[in-house]
This record gives sequence, C-alpha cells and structure tokens, in this order.
Amino acid sequence: MTMTTEEYRAVFTDKVLGELQEILSRYPNKQAALLPALWLVQRERGWISDRNMVEVAEVLGVTPAYVKGVVTFYTMYHQHPVGDNFVQVCTTSPCNICGAESVVKALLEQTGAKDPGATSPDGRWTIVEVECLGACGFATPVLVNDDFIENVTPERVPEIVKKYR
Amino acid sequence: MADGLINLTIDGVPVSVPPGTLVIEAAKQAGVLVPHYCYHPGLAVAGVCRMCLVEVEKAPKLQIACATTVTEGMVVKTQAVQAKDARQSVLEFLLINHPLDCPICDQAGECELQDFVFQEGRAGTRYAEYAKRFNPVEDFGPDVLYVPNRCILCTRCVRFMEDVAQEPVLNVSERGDRAFIGIHPEARLDHPWAGNVVDLCPVGSLLSKDFLHKARAWELDKTASICTGCSQGCNVTLDTRDEVVVRVRPRPNLEVNRYFICDHGRMNYRWINRGDRVEAPLVRRDGELHATDWDEAFARVLGILRGASGKAVALVSPGASSEALSLARRLFSAFEWTGAFQVVMGEEAPLAGVPNLALRAERAPNAKGAEQLGYTRDYAAALQAAASAAVVLVLDDPDCAVKTEGALIYAGTTLPPEAAARAADVVLPIANVAEEDGTFVNRDGRAQRYYQAKPAPGMARPAAWVLGELAAALGVAEAV
Amino acid sequence: MGFPHPPHPKETVLLSQYFGDPEARSHKGWVKRGGYEALAQALKMQAGEVVEVVKESGLRGRGGAGFPTGLKWSFMPKEKKKPHYLCVNADESEPGTFKDREIMRWTPHALLEGTAIAAHAIQAEIAYIYIRGEFTEPWTIMEKALAEANAAGVFGKIRIVLHRGAGAYICGEETALMNSIEGKRGNPRIKPPFPAAAGLFGMPTTINNVETLAAVPHILKRGATWYKGLCLSNPKSTGTKLFSVCGHVQRPGNYEVTMGFPLKDLLYELSGGMRSGRTLKACIPGGSSVPILSREETERTLLDYEGVVAQGSMLGSGGVIVFDDSADMVYQIMRLARFYAHESCAQCTQCREGTAWTTKILERILAGQGKTQDLDLLLDLSENMTGKTICVLSDSCAAPVVSGIKKFKNEFEDYIAGKRKPVMVA
Repeated sequence: MTMTTEEYRAVFTDKVLGELQEILSRYPNKQAALLPALWLVQRERGWISDRNMVEVAEVLGVTPAYVKGVVTFYTMYHQHPVGDNFVQVCTTSPCNICGAESVVKALLEQTGAKDPGATSPDGRWTIVEVECLGACGFATPVLVNDDFIENVTPERVPEIVKKYR
Repeated sequence: MADGLINLTIDGVPVSVPPGTLVIEAAKQAGVLVPHYCYHPGLAVAGVCRMCLVEVEKAPKLQIACATTVTEGMVVKTQAVQAKDARQSVLEFLLINHPLDCPICDQAGECELQDFVFQEGRAGTRYAEYAKRFNPVEDFGPDVLYVPNRCILCTRCVRFMEDVAQEPVLNVSERGDRAFIGIHPEARLDHPWAGNVVDLCPVGSLLSKDFLHKARAWELDKTASICTGCSQGCNVTLDTRDEVVVRVRPRPNLEVNRYFICDHGRMNYRWINRGDRVEAPLVRRDGELHATDWDEAFARVLGILRGASGKAVALVSPGASSEALSLARRLFSAFEWTGAFQVVMGEEAPLAGVPNLALRAERAPNAKGAEQLGYTRDYAAALQAAASAAVVLVLDDPDCAVKTEGALIYAGTTLPPEAAARAADVVLPIANVAEEDGTFVNRDGRAQRYYQAKPAPGMARPAAWVLGELAAALGVAEAV
Repeated sequence: MGFPHPPHPKETVLLSQYFGDPEARSHKGWVKRGGYEALAQALKMQAGEVVEVVKESGLRGRGGAGFPTGLKWSFMPKEKKKPHYLCVNADESEPGTFKDREIMRWTPHALLEGTAIAAHAIQAEIAYIYIRGEFTEPWTIMEKALAEANAAGVFGKIRIVLHRGAGAYICGEETALMNSIEGKRGNPRIKPPFPAAAGLFGMPTTINNVETLAAVPHILKRGATWYKGLCLSNPKSTGTKLFSVCGHVQRPGNYEVTMGFPLKDLLYELSGGMRSGRTLKACIPGGSSVPILSREETERTLLDYEGVVAQGSMLGSGGVIVFDDSADMVYQIMRLARFYAHESCAQCTQCREGTAWTTKILERILAGQGKTQDLDLLLDLSENMTGKTICVLSDSCAAPVVSGIKKFKNEFEDYIAGKRKPVMVA
C-alpha cells in the first residue's frame, strides 16, 4: 500500500466515460459492465492498479474488494505494468507436441526477456506461456498484444521480433 | 403428507419436515450431523466445500446435503461406503496444503477440520513429499488476522460480509490452488459486526487478535449469558478460564441475534474481570468508611430505613438485573419512592442483512426492564428529589453525583478513590453480570436469563440477594 | 490468414462452405449467398414452431455436451412473464478445439443469423455473445458484422450484444458464463436452479454453442427432414460436425463431415495422415476433457455421439488431438493436468487441490522421482475427483489421467523404473 502525493488521474472522463455509458446501456444492472469497464482501464493505462479498482468500484456501485476479486480471477487483466509488447504463447498439449516450448525459448532469448513473465530490460517485451488459445490447428499461435499470429515456429521468431521491436 | 410435512428417511430414521427443508437440516431431526464446512444456517448456500456428500437412493451421483431439498419418500444414507469415501477424500485434499499447526493454532479443540478428520479422515496423508504452500499471515483490520495457509476456502467469511453485513470487503482472490481470501489494500475489516467471521471460520484461519494465544479451547468453561453492551439483548456465551472471562461468543437465538454479536459486545468484557472491586461491606464510623461484615452492614441499613420516613430515591444502573431493580423498589414500600436511571447513548450500527438486529443506541441491557418496574429516565428530577430525600439508594453507579441531606446507601461493584459514592453511609459490594444469575429485558420486551460464570470476589453477593435480605428483614418481601 | 485447405471430397460442406472467402464476412456478401432468408422466415413463424423444427432435426449441442438443442429450447417458459435471455458460448477454450473461431472469422453473419433465430424461438429480446478475450480477430470481425446487420435492420426487436471474456477456460461452462456476463468471478453455479428457470440475472436463459447456432439457419431453410437425413450411423446423431484436427497430422485444420464418419478416414485421408515415418499412437477425439483412445480404438471409431462412447470416449467438442509415436504421453498428460490446475475456479475442494496434486505427482514422475504406488494414487485421486463437484472440470482432469495410465502404462513405468531419462527437474 503506497501513499502517493501524486493526484490520481481518473480513467472514466470525457470520451472514455461516454464509452462506459454506452456499455452500461447493454445490461440491466451496473455490475454487469465490470468486465468491459476493466478492459477500458487496461486499454487506457496498460494495466489495472489498486487505485484504478477503487475508481471502477465507485463508478459501478460495488466495492474495491469485489473488483479485485474479479480482476485476480481473469488472467488477461494485468495487475502490474508489462512490456510494450505483451506476448502470449500457447503451450498446452496440442501446441506442445508441435514445438510450442521451443517457440517460447526462442522468444525469451531473442527479446532479452529471459524468463517467462519478466519484462525485458529495455521495457519492450514480456513473454508469457498461456493455456489453449483456440487455434490448435495453426500451431503455435502467438498473441502480440492484440495481434493474433498463427503457425509460429522458432524459425519465424526473428521476423516477429524484428516487426515489433 | 397429511399435515403438509414431507416424510423421508435418514440413516434409517424417519423424519417429517416442512417442504423446502434442506437434507442437512432434516438430518438434525434424525440426530445426524452431516459433516460440512461451507454450509451455515445463517448464510446463503454455497455448496463448494463438497464435504456434506451423502447417498440419496435413486440419485445417480452423490448429493450435497446442504443444497438438496427433501422430497417425499427420499431415502438418505450418510454412512454409505461411497459417501464416506468421498468425504474422506475431501478431507485428504484439504489437508495437503493445510499445515499441521494444531499445537500452535487457536482453533485446536474447537476446530471442525480436526473434528471431522478424527471422525472420518484417513489415518495418514498420501501427500508426504512436497513443501506445502506458504503465505504470510495478514492483518485484516482492528481485530482479525488471516492465516492463508490454514484457509479451506469455505467462503463463509466472504458470504457473511457480502450478504449479512452487506459490506463486501472480503473477496476470493486468484484461482485454483493459488486462491486465498483477499481484502482490498485500501480497505480494513472494521465493520461493527466483522468479528463474526472469526466465529464462522471453521478452522484457525481467521483469528481474533484479542484472543490470540490466550487460552486453549479445552481449558474454557462456557456459560450462557446475555450481552450487556446495549439493549438488543444478544445471547452470548462467556468463556472463562480459571475464573477469568477470556472471550465472548454469540449464542444462537433465532428471535434475537440469530448467530451473531457485534464487535462492541464482543470486545467489551474486560471490565468483568476488573480487580478493583469492593470486596467487603463498608460502614461509616467516625467519618470514615470501615470494612465490616454483612451482619453489621445490614444492621446499619435497617437502622437507617426503620428510622426514616418520607421520600426515598433509587438511582440505578440500567445494567442491573430485573430482580435487583424490583427489590430496590419494594425495599422502600414505606416511603414515597422515586426511581430513575440514565443510559449512555452511542451510535446505532445495524446488521443490514438481519431484520431487527443492531448495536443499539442505548448502551445498557436492562433499560426496558427498569422502565417496566417503574423507573423513569428523568434523572435530573430524581437527583433533585434526592437532595431532600430521607434515603437514597445508588445501585452500581459510582459516579452518580448525588447530594442528599438524608442517608446514602451505595450498592455497587467498584468504588474508585475519587468516586462520588465515597460519600455513602453504607457501601454494599455486589456481583457483576458474570457472577450471578439474573434477568434482563431487552428493547423488544423479551425477558432473558443469564447465568453465573465465575464466583464474585471477596464478600460481594448478587444485588438481588443483598436487597432481598434487607426487604425480608423489613417484612416487605420474601428472602431471595 | 489461417489454414485455407480446400474442401476434401469426403467432407460434407455446410457450415464451412465460405471458410476462406472474405466476401462472406460482409452483410452484402452474406445476403448474396442466401443469408438472412432463414431469419426472415423464422420471424414469421411462432416461437414454438421454430422449436419444433429444430427438435425434429435432431440437432445436438456442439459445444461438448451434445444435449438435444430443440429440447433445451423447449425448457424455456412458454408463457413469457419475465425477460428471457440467450447466451451464445463463444468462449472456445477446450484444448484441441478451434472451430467456433473459424465460424466467427469467416462467416460471422451465420452466427448472428442463428443467434437471432434462436432468440426468437425462446422469446428472448436480448442475446449476449460471450467471446473469449484472446479472440481478438473474431471479435473485430463480429463487431463489424453486427454493426452492418443492425444497420440493415435484420434482427427486428432482437438485440445482440457482444461481451468480451478475459482469460478463463471455466467461463465456457454455461453457469460460469452467466456469472461472467453478470460481472462476477466465473464460478459455476450449483444446479438447481437450472438456467431455463433462473439463469442470467435470475431470468429464464438458454445457452448455446456457436457451431450449434450456425447450423440453425440451414435447418430452417432446408427443413428438419433434410438435416435428419445427414446421418451415417446412429439416427440419434444427425447433421454435420466441424472436427478440429490438430497435432501430429500432415494437414491440421477444421474438417466438416456427416455424423457417423469414420475417424480413421478423417485422420488418414482428410488430414493427410501421419507425418513422414511416424505412426499413430493415440488420439483424443473430443477435446482434452475426454478419455484418450489407443490406436486400435481410434481406427475403429465412428464419429457420432454414440459411436465414440462405444469406444470408451466421448465426441465432446470434436477437437481431435493426434499423437504419433514421437509423443511423450506422460509429459503431455502432465501438461493437460497443469492446464486444468491453472483453470480451476477454486470453489470445490477436489478440483482445487486435486488438479494441482495430480500435476505435482506427474511432474515428479517426469523428474525421475516417481514411485510404483504413484499410479494407483493417481487413479484413486482421479476417482475422488469424478462425479463429486459442481462442474466437470475436475472430471475432465481425471479423464486423460485415467485413460493414459490404463493405455500407456509402460510409458509411466519407464519413468518410474528409471528406464527413461527424466525430462523435468524436481
């Protein structure tokens, strides 16, 4: 728990607030807008801080503890800052038997991130192993932020790293 | 189903219950306790611990008794081999990460995990090789500690805060075997009723800092009592060890406090153990108070009462028993009697999810009882009357700043050096709520009994006895 | 772009007809291909009539459970007293399965049309399509398609809303999906109450899979009898199914065949057979949550609900994972157990602790520290994890473990006996 003298900059103002209002109209109660609201926060700030959770809780009429329980349940919400390129590589069995782990290894080496979940020293890359991405016939699928890249092999890793560097 | 009840059989015992009853509740009628953790009659059904699995004839799978409603002719077997094996496996799964902390865990002796493992668990675990999950102890707030390693994720605490306290300040965080009970970093568990989560926790995961390492469960004597914190009249159990009250816990009463007490009542018991008590009767001799025995004290009081006439004023504590309050009036049958009390007021704190349950503004247990017996709240007027009264009786309020031309009798538990009551002619030592049997009447007019949990110090006796002896001697009442 | 294999002559191309055809994504393109006629037709019918047609067709849920769709729709209250909801399960996360993704990114309007027809049939005024968070491309395509369809006003009073998931396999379980839409942790609910009685926001709800709904416009257009006739084996399994073939085959991809099609032909012919110099060792026919089939069982299997059960497994989602002789079955089963341990929601004791314990035992075996009694322990744990929990995630963890130990026991024993070098560090 940090006490900061910096003023908190609200996420839900102006345009983003407008987006939230539209989202709220899709559900019969405010709580149901929680997952979409959290996506908005992550889109705007790159991750979701405890203070962000307080703001979301206030806007939707729930408690910060409640929001935190939801954030920690879903693996795609980041609870701390990540590299500019957040890379998800599937290593579940269907991709695993097609060489997914060597794709992870190549990415970790060539981006300088070194360990899964760690951010590279230049802050550009975080590589994580994830569970089935629903593209098993296109092994190995790799998500770089929102770009879904199929059929990745260790040979293709240099070109991907170059593209997003 | 002639009388609208559902008939079923549980472990061979026929029971009849209203429609909608859960099997786990119906089992109680058959004298069967179905092992369980997440179920609690005061909370919504969760069905997550899977401990209450029982066999129900004709059902293809084992059913959880806490979420199965009775049907006519249902046959339930809690001791079927499949059901016992399943429950045993749940216990084994719980114990793979639950540390063997019993020797240092407060819950030992009143732990439901210990109880059911002893009753139905395996003799030894098959998980002998891995380091158990370790997380440091967390401080949730004013009184509650959370020990994540011991948590079995029954979620009773989360459901209590969410549905009963209606302040969802606890959550389940993370997923899978990484899950734990979380609290938002900027929140504290400081709700006025939060202490109940410690009672609800079946294991030693949520602990009271106040009770931490104070006593072992099997050392405690338990006595039924009534909380003196306010006029709600919550039923409590006083836990004493070596005649010292070490803990207060709620006693279930569906009409009054259901299964809960507030933190104010829970934490305010230390005064019951105070050592600075009046332990002998005192009489004024040569301008000073001297200790004496009951005979001389009674003789002095009777002398005062027989020799006086006119007005008598009784200034009483609204924490005195109805028996004592009744006698404090009858004693003065020959006088023009005024009785009054004053109540400390505080902020009300309701338990939102339970109708008619709150920490009440009136911070005394027997104001209603006093009213019923003719005492008024017009304390100022009583003080004025007391000034010119022949006899004034102050019952357990040492700071009562009464001045009188007549005689002053003080019956109380304490007498601090600067107390106004030091001006009394006679001081009679009395027992406090834990040292006597008595009756309080709560704000709804419900008379409730409390019982003696420990002996009164020295020569102190229940106020009802003291006043009863005096009244009997005067012939205005029978001895208690 | 994905894997645009041209349709094999033995496929029955119905849902996959326009896979690879970018023009089919647009509203205009879809209408040109006969789209939204079925919806217009359905909107003129009574809700109950639509239900009867789908019931008659024999369509069964394609998400994994295989529950008769028309029957499920008929559980909704006939008399409308409260809001009704339709939820579309596009959370596709079952390892080995990747068909719903293709339906959404190639034929989004097929899904929208099927959704609207279903909504009409169950008298729902709003339908939520729950798309898993990782499906960024399908999301964008569905958003655009929905906007175009709305602009064209094809849905009448029915409102379709896209809802994005955030990374939880368990949200593919129907009651967990509803909780997730409601803004809660994706915990499955105890049943009763059943969704048709009290589901989303406590209201009567039906949840259907993407592939199931994509078939509905075809059934409306060409009739139940025609759909029922698409059947090669058991008459209780009708229509076509997209099988997502992946792993050790020459041509992984989605293949659409008539129910009852031989699995052998799917692998050796349509998918191009094994990789050079390799032989088939094992196959999981229905996504990782079903028992593993041995080579012999695989070659005997007819692909419909009953046919796969006859070989000791289940059709499930139709995610066909193929392992050749190079696969380390022990490692892959460990990896599957780890998947379930990661995805467990943590409610039920057996699942929360059992999936992790199972994973640890398998990791220990792979690290060369296994003991002979470990196999019996794994089997006992798996039995304790089956049939005793709120949902079947823990049963799903047990399935590959039990079938794996039974059918590939020698591989486990080799690690335990030290005959095989450890591949993990303890």
